[in-house]
Amino acid sequence: MDQLILASECDVVNEVICAPTDVRDLFEFTDAWFTIGNFQFTRTVFLIFLAAFIVVALLYFGLRRNRLVPSKFELTMESTVEFVRDGIGKDVIGPEGSKYVPYLLAIFLFILVGNLFEVTPLINFPITSRMAIPFFLSLVTYVIFVFVGFKKYGFRFLGDTIWPKHVPIGLRWLVGIIELFSVFLLRPLTLAVRLFANMLAGHLMLTLLLGSGVIFILAFPEIGAKALVGIPWFALGLGIFVFEIVVAVLQAYIFTLLSAVYIQSSIHFEH
Amino acid sequence: MEGNIELLKGAIALIGYGLAAVGPGIGIGIVVGNAITAMARQPEMAGTVRTTMFLGIAFTEALALIGFVLFFIA
Repeated sequence: MDQLILASECDVVNEVICAPTDVRDLFEFTDAWFTIGNFQFTRTVFLIFLAAFIVVALLYFGLRRNRLVPSKFELTMESTVEFVRDGIGKDVIGPEGSKYVPYLLAIFLFILVGNLFEVTPLINFPITSRMAIPFFLSLVTYVIFVFVGFKKYGFRFLGDTIWPKHVPIGLRWLVGIIELFSVFLLRPLTLAVRLFANMLAGHLMLTLLLGSGVIFILAFPEIGAKALVGIPWFALGLGIFVFEIVVAVLQAYIFTLLSAVYIQSSIHFEH
Repeated sequence: MEGNIELLKGAIALIGYGLAAVGPGIGIGIVVGNAITAMARQPEMAGTVRTTMFLGIAFTEALALIGFVLFFIA
């Protein structure tokens, strides 16, 4: 066991087992492939472009022909669009929801593809586990729902949030502070962190279990029967692999659903 | 060991995250349990109940997520 621990110490050359020295390492892009001006093109950036390209290709090839009898792939894409339009757009936002369906569909598919990169062989990296991406997506949702609220209600949107008329006068200031804090600060923050935390945790768990399982099994010639510890770890990793597929789809759904709910709460602000 | 404030800070942050996860854990249990009861009583409303359940979970989870963020910041 001692040899194994010694062998598993931080290997700077291969960067396999190094723990991040600082939390900031999780938020930085390292190892640029090439640099254009200030813009570093890394593997993550490549995966972002790949995810966007996959989404466009899926939509284009799935929906370009409007046939009476669609193929299986076209049927899948049609039911996905229908699911976002009816299940999220119309159910949550209401009749005005059809205006926001393109945005909801775009973020749903982009997050879904980005999350499923986690369980795609040879990629194995969810782009949503980098804080920049969920944070930017939630910022877009934030701008949309704040803009919709101000457009429809003017500064009453801000005023009624701070000073809600339907609350008894003695409690108004307290509810106002809580509402202001929750609507304008906590909503975008939790929206981003929920996706980020779920994907980061899943990615770490898969890496730890599958990676350490493989390291143990490969060390079989050196440490003998102790290497069998790797087998249950690897099996557990495979079990979590299946679970992560469910998490990936569910998180994409929840992000889209909450975006729709926030937009809805700005449209029907009065109740 | 003495004077190693960084280690101590990490340990306290871990305890804080653990405490932050207790309340939302109980809350999500209540939300999901009641949603299952509702679905069992009225299976035709299962779709609506499921959507509302996810919303409730998402709002309850916020506290645990703030704990997660503070754990990283600490």
